[in-house]
Amino acid sequence: MVKEITSKGKKKVLLTPTTFSLLHATDFADRYERNIAPLLEAGYFVLADRYIYTAFARDVVRGCSPAWVRKVYSFALPPDVAFYFRVPTEVAMGRIMEGRPKLKYYEAGMDLNLSNDEYESYRIFQGRIVEQYEAMVENDRFVVVDGSLDIEEQQERMRRRVEQLLPQAGGGSAVGGPEAP
Amino acid sequence: MAKEVAPRPLRFYGEGISYLKNVESKGSLIVIEGPDGSGRSTQIDAITGKLEADGHAVITTGLKRSELIGAGILEAKHKLPLGKKTLALFYAADFADQLEHKIIPALHAGYVVLADRYIYTLMARSNVRGIGRSWSHDLFGFAIEPDLVFYLDVPPEELFHRVFQKYGSLDYYESGADMGLADDLFMSFVLYQRSIAKEFKFMESKYGIARIDGGRSIPEVNADLQSRIDSYLNHER
Repeated sequence: MVKEITSKGKKKVLLTPTTFSLLHATDFADRYERNIAPLLEAGYFVLADRYIYTAFARDVVRGCSPAWVRKVYSFALPPDVAFYFRVPTEVAMGRIMEGRPKLKYYEAGMDLNLSNDEYESYRIFQGRIVEQYEAMVENDRFVVVDGSLDIEEQQERMRRRVEQLLPQAGGGSAVGGPEAP
Repeated sequence: MAKEVAPRPLRFYGEGISYLKNVESKGSLIVIEGPDGSGRSTQIDAITGKLEADGHAVITTGLKRSELIGAGILEAKHKLPLGKKTLALFYAADFADQLEHKIIPALHAGYVVLADRYIYTLMARSNVRGIGRSWSHDLFGFAIEPDLVFYLDVPPEELFHRVFQKYGSLDYYESGADMGLADDLFMSFVLYQRSIAKEFKFMESKYGIARIDGGRSIPEVNADLQSRIDSYLNHER
């Protein structure tokens, strides 16, 4: 429901950085209040494919105040572990661009007037987002995973880290969490 | 004729909107707060007429009116109960849209902006539902500080009669029916409006909100508001 309204706003191309940020926060809060929070309370392991950090990086690149964005999302519990997959920008861009996907207006960062070419805009935009993530690595205690390693090697390392959180006698069940805020 | 006003920087409650830092205001933002049935729209109509006659360019704005999601808010309310934070953020997005697309451009152009409710109603609704006051305050760090804020204070028992006369029924949310305050809607309405009024009382000094006795006749309330507004527009700004 919330998603629908968010995308309706995006189609009209009327969003400012602040409204863009707040609509995404609305969507995230909906998932958080309905899904993440009750599951955590019930003792589940929640695996979130992106979380508040995505919003911190994206909204700040768009021009929102970093302090404000963090305050808005302060209702969300910090994760027990945050994995950050680090890959050289060219590698990431190569993987994404392989099929020359159709980029959406906001996804390509076209609202930032970085370039008239959407692929060029996307490249610059993603570069800035990566800068924001990199700046968070230390303070937000990201566990950095080298994304250029073998998938199995990456998986091994993640499992070792996640195991530290598991109760000794097993138990607890995992569910896929919601996607990006 | 209206007095010319020197451009001045926008004043924000918190971090502000950094990408608008060069925007100045040559106008005035005047907010009328108060529950449904407190006479807000009647007063705003009268004030608009008077200010226009005095040579001011006037624009009115309210909550739930933005093109972006205005209609969506109502749909969301009727289809499913949203979480408290979700709803608060939703309203904040709607407000931000109007602030950036309507209020700020109008102030920049020198309009007197009459706001039919502002962030205070949104904060009061959230806060009585258990959202922390500091989170609500921080959320609106992008909002600009109005020049004048009035709260039309009417006792809930009196509001109940006015709302019934006007609409013939009570609004679900304006009665706080989502909060489980009472078994019947009348009690729920009274308790809810009482807690909103209490929240406004708490906000008064922090946000410089002037309490206006809205229990008086329409002309009496109007004379009170108009003299305060005139005194601000002609002398203080």
